[in-house]
Order: sequence, then C-alpha cells, then structure tokens
Amino acid sequence: MKKILVGAALLGMSASASAVAPGGDGCGWGNLLFEGKSGLPVHLLATTVNGTSGNATFGMTSGTNGCDTSGALTYDGKSLLAMNGMLEEVAQDMAVGHGEALTALSVSMGIEPEDRAHFDTVMHQHFADVFPSQDVDAGQVMTHIDSVMRQDERLKVYAS
Amino acid sequence: MRFLCWFALGLVGVTASVCISSSAAARDSAQAMPDTATIARLADTPRWQALLHYNPGATLRGVGESYVDDPNFFLASDGATNAADELAATIQALAKPDSPARCRYPARYKFVATQLGWDTTDALAHCTDYQDWRDRMPIGRLVMVFPAAYLNSPSSMFGHTLLRLDASAKPESAYLSRAINFSAQSTGADGSALYVWRGLVGGYPGRFSVNSYVETIHRYGFIENRDIWEYPLNLDHDALDWLVRHLWELRGVNFDYFFFDENCSFRLLELIHVARPDLPLLAGQRFAELPVHTIRTLVDAGLVSDNHYRPSKIHTLQRYADPLSSSERALTKRLTRNTGLLETPAFQDLRPAARHRVAQVAYQALRVDGRTRQRDKSTAHDSLALLRAIQRNPAPAAAPATPPAPPEKGHATHLISLAGGRIDGASYGEFGFRMTYHDVLDRPQGFPTGAGIQGLDLKLRAYDNGDIELERLGLVNIRSIAPRGTFFKPISWFVDSGLEQTPAGSTRQLGLYLDGGPGLSWRVGDVVPYVFAAARLETVATQEPTFGTGLGANAGALWITPTVQWGLELSQRYFAQGFHRTRAGLSANLPVSRNNALRARCEYESWNAQGQADCQLSFRHFF
Repeated sequence: MKKILVGAALLGMSASASAVAPGGDGCGWGNLLFEGKSGLPVHLLATTVNGTSGNATFGMTSGTNGCDTSGALTYDGKSLLAMNGMLEEVAQDMAVGHGEALTALSVSMGIEPEDRAHFDTVMHQHFADVFPSQDVDAGQVMTHIDSVMRQDERLKVYAS
Repeated sequence: MRFLCWFALGLVGVTASVCISSSAAARDSAQAMPDTATIARLADTPRWQALLHYNPGATLRGVGESYVDDPNFFLASDGATNAADELAATIQALAKPDSPARCRYPARYKFVATQLGWDTTDALAHCTDYQDWRDRMPIGRLVMVFPAAYLNSPSSMFGHTLLRLDASAKPESAYLSRAINFSAQSTGADGSALYVWRGLVGGYPGRFSVNSYVETIHRYGFIENRDIWEYPLNLDHDALDWLVRHLWELRGVNFDYFFFDENCSFRLLELIHVARPDLPLLAGQRFAELPVHTIRTLVDAGLVSDNHYRPSKIHTLQRYADPLSSSERALTKRLTRNTGLLETPAFQDLRPAARHRVAQVAYQALRVDGRTRQRDKSTAHDSLALLRAIQRNPAPAAAPATPPAPPEKGHATHLISLAGGRIDGASYGEFGFRMTYHDVLDRPQGFPTGAGIQGLDLKLRAYDNGDIELERLGLVNIRSIAPRGTFFKPISWFVDSGLEQTPAGSTRQLGLYLDGGPGLSWRVGDVVPYVFAAARLETVATQEPTFGTGLGANAGALWITPTVQWGLELSQRYFAQGFHRTRAGLSANLPVSRNNALRARCEYESWNAQGQADCQLSFRHFF
C-alpha cells in the first residue's frame, strides 16, 4: 500500500489515499513524498470513525477524543481511561505492577505522590477484580478501581 | 467533516468570537498615544516583529511581511505589511481598561504595557475565556518533541516536530501535558497530485492547535510505531508566558503552509522566537526546514541540555524479546496464536520470571498487531489471558531502554562528493551533489538502519580525454530494507528514478529510467541479506523502439557496523526489446567524522555480453 502511494505521488497520478492507512503525517518533505492526504490527524479521526466497540478494553474507542473537545485538555481518571488505547495501556501496567499509563491514571485521579506506589501495588494485586473479563469498558473499570480502593485503608480517601 | 472535526480539536475548543472596534477606543482612552517616532522605534523591535510573524529574511517569500494569511489577525488594514501602523492600531485598541481587544491579544498587551509603562494590575481580569484557558495551560516547562521515522517508511525519516507544555519543570506525568501542533488543514477532497501541488505552492492553510500529549504518544508511539525524542528547553517562566499568551492570539488564525520551508517545524521555531526574540533562531536563509534542523537550531542556541528517548511499541517489544532464548521466542510466537498453551507444561515448566517475560513479549506482539485493527473477540480474550499470566508470574523490572544515537547527532542533510576512478581504461574525476538525505551505506548513527531516501542526486564526470559528461541525475531514490523477524514480516521495497549513464551496445548512454519493486530481507547478526523482484522502464536502447521495459531481480546484502558500512548487490534485468542488463557492485563506506566519509566502490555493468568495470574512491562531505 505504502509503496503504491509513493509511486503514485511520484508519478503525479491521482490516487485516492486511504484515510485509514497509518502513517504519513510527517511534516515537510516526508509528508510530501509519502502519502496523499495526511497533513492533519487523519489517523486519529479514522480510528475514531472506525471504532466499533465503544471504549472497550483491547479495542479502539470512540470516547472523549477526536471531535469531542470537552475533555480535550484536562482529564479525570474516567475520561483518561476512555481515551483511545488507554485502557489497554493501563491493563498492561497493572498486570506488570507499574508503568507510565498507570502513573498518569493515579495523577489524574488526584492520588498524592506518596501513595502512588501503594496504588500501583494494590491495583497489581487486584488485577483480576479490576479486569474480570475482556469486555469491560472504561466506566466499569473505573467502578472496579473505586471498589478496590474503598477496601484499602490508605486508598479509601481517594474513592468517590 | 474532517475539517470541522479539526476545528473542534483546534486551539482551545472555545469559539469565542471577539469583535474588535478600534474606532471609539481613542476617545475613551485612559492612555496617551505615544508619538510617531516612539511607535516606529517600538515597531522595529524583534519582539513586536515576532508577535506579528514578520519574515526577517528567513524564507524567500515576502521578506518584511507577515506570514499570517488571515485579515482577522490584524487591526490595521495594512497590518500585514506595516508593523508601525499595526502597533498604533493595537495601542489604540488596547488602551481602554475593559477593552475586548485585550482579551484577544494578551501577548500584544504585555508588549505595549511593558514598553509604555501601563499599569498592568488586573488588566486582563475581565477576560474570562482567556483566564479559563490559562488555568488549563499551567506553564512549567516547554519540550520540543520529535517523532522519528517509522518502520519501512523511509519518507518518514524526515520526522515531525511538535511542542509539549508541561505543568511543572518535573511533570508528574507527561501523559497529561499539552501538545502544541502546527499542521496543514487539507480538505481531503483533492487527489494526490493536486495535494502535492497545493502543498508545494501554499494552497492549504496551516493552524496551531493544542491537545493532550497522551494522544501524541498514542498516535506516534503506539499506532505508527515511531520512536519519540523529547528535548526539554531552557526557557524561563516569563518566556513561556509570552509564548502561551501568543498561542491564544493564534487560535483559529491561518498561515500559508508550504511543505519545504514554511512547515510545522519552521512555525514552531517562530513560536519559540516569540518567547526569546533575542536568540538567533530565525537567522540565515532557509530553503527547506527539516525537523532535525529545528532541533539543531535549538541546540545551537543553547536551549537544549538534555533529551529523553521514548521507544516505539515495536522497539520495546524487540528489547524484551532479544534476551529470550530461541525456544522461549518460539513459544511466544505460538502463544500469540493460542493462549491455551499457558496451561501446558511448555509454559508452566518455565521459571516464574521467564513465564513473565514470555507472556509479556507475546502480549506486546499481539497488541502491536491488534492495536491497528478493529477489535475482535478472540484477540481480546487472548490479550487478557496473557495479562493474567504476566500478573501471576512476577519478575524484576526490565532494564531501561538504551537509547540509540539521537537524530540531531546524525550527519547533515546535503552532500558534496569528489571522486577519482577508472572505467574501461579511462580515468575520470567526479563531482557529486546530493540535495538530501541519506543512503543505506551512509553513517548510520541517528538514522534507521536499512532505510534510505535520496532526492536530487547529481554526478558530473571529467574524463582524461577532456570530455565532461553528466553521469547521473537521480530524482528520487527510496530504499526500505526491513528485515523479517519472529513477529513481523515486513515487505521491503525500493523505487529509483532519474537520468543515468548505462551501457548500451559498446558505449554508454544517458537515459531516463524508473526502477523499483518489492522484496524480502532478513537479519543474520549484523548482516542483512535481501532480494527484490524489480521492473525497469528506460529510454536507453540502441534499437527501435527507444523505450525499454524490463523485468528482473536484485539480490544483495548490507553489513552495517558503527565504524564501516558494506554493501553488495547484484541485479539483472531482461528487456522485452531483446537485450539484458547485469550490474554487480561492492561498496564500503568509512565515516571519518560526523559529516565526512570515504567511500570505495567497484561496479561491473554489462549490456548483453559487453561489460565495463568502474572503480572509484570518493570523499563525501555533508553540510
């Protein structure tokens, strides 16, 4: 696909570049040479448009990003989880026990720096409670996190 | 639709429409208008020129005029070309304490108030939209972000740039920072040729936008699998305040977007110039602004003292997979197809830490593939099964990634070369110039291995009999030699076009050619063997018709080490017009410094059975 597009661009032929194909939003020369129409967040929009599964785990979501600007700059835990791809990052970090996505979640939930390592540990231990099935969505995961925190002496102050 | 979405994604998501009425402002002015000489002096200051985006001579088009292509940005009718008139109109509009223009132009206000000694107490208190936005744009640190090339796409080697605004000098989570982008707003309705044309001549407007950095990481690092380099900038709070105020002034404002010079990288540099107009960020003439030049400009200006490497998902996977034994790697591969194996002795008999690593690699491989496709039930089921195995089998944290050489440490863009050689008993000297950028044998530091892109490659030869000949004028030559591994099976490819001398009968002739095709490659230690199927169109032929169409294959190998880079290639083309070409070449490249290298090359070329050997030694200098 990519080389066909490159060839088409070089030969000056008119090819209709697929908006779904990842790639090409470089700037300057790279963009010119690579692919037809990719100078704007085609991919983000494409993935938003193509998402079929709501904000499920292990799937593209059609959550708060893309055309919805209400949560575009600041996130609470739930809106962060609802972002494209965040749920799977958080799931992986919880399974491992730490990671940048899990830290982003605890920061956005207002968990104080001194409690974040403890939050990571508790979430790691209760992974099966937070992700009981592959079909949980961001809202359910947030509810599960909340009930796990409620049962923890140090974390219950952060539960909603 | 796409445009509307983009607009909504746009700068603030606040659709405040501000009416500027400058006619009555002077009458109600609480401030006196300075004299013409003062206005002329202030209008010439670098800061005011930067706030209006006047071209100081950095690019060819419209020197001394504003880059902004949007009448709404200016208060004076000739504001785009007359900085003094725009300043006078601005002073007039900003003078009144509750002026709506103060809310539209907080950076201009800061400039005027500072220069004219206005009382700034609560000067912008009535600007609720602006204040709300500033509350969501806490300023601690500015970071230049460079997403590098992605796999199997040499044209992305030029990279991309954006800015990141952190809430503090040591942010708690970069995921929650803001990303500042400048990009062209194409409508999506144009065909590729029109798109390229409009991009070149400035047919698309470009705009700044702000969104969340987590979207940037997701898109470039996770979906497109590009390494991301982050360069924190030494800018103090006051400089960042200028920048963020000005960013507000630019919401919804259109710039022309030109691919070569006035692109995202140039605009970001211009934005930083507003924060620090005293630095020579826009000094010198730019023919083409490449993202890596922007990084180098910032380094040279002393704004960069550190960098951070954020590996793509594929490189993270490779880092975890490399330490596994070959049997463990085979098991991970099987696990990605059947997670039922997690319950069998093949997995259970491993040590817990090994179980963790194997499951983690299998999970990451599954996600690299699954992340770009629509969700399906069995992949989701397998993903969760692997995560549970990771969680049940703890292991010590893996060592952090060892960053490769950062892109700004790579060789420069343009190349000149001087060579001496012999072909068929004749000696020659050769001068070469290459506009851009990298071939697969050039010094590898800062570039992806096996990827090459060359644009406008000129070679002129002077023979010992006094003849001067054009040896080659390459238009575009792209090569992507992407080895196939345990988890990914990319298709390599190449395309090459231009004018070149090739054997034809008993002589050599200059002709147009287009050559290219798909291929496969593998990795054996440091050596990367490859094969391509190839097709060639050319105008060189000694008999009618003069348009040759050939099919054939290339086979070769790269041996890329940090100190010397070797390349061997054999190619064969059979033409429908009844002749064939053979080419065999061996090259060695020896970098002697970042921008200087020696290259030796011997090549044998034949047309039917008649062949010539050509050997040369060249000195190559990048600048």
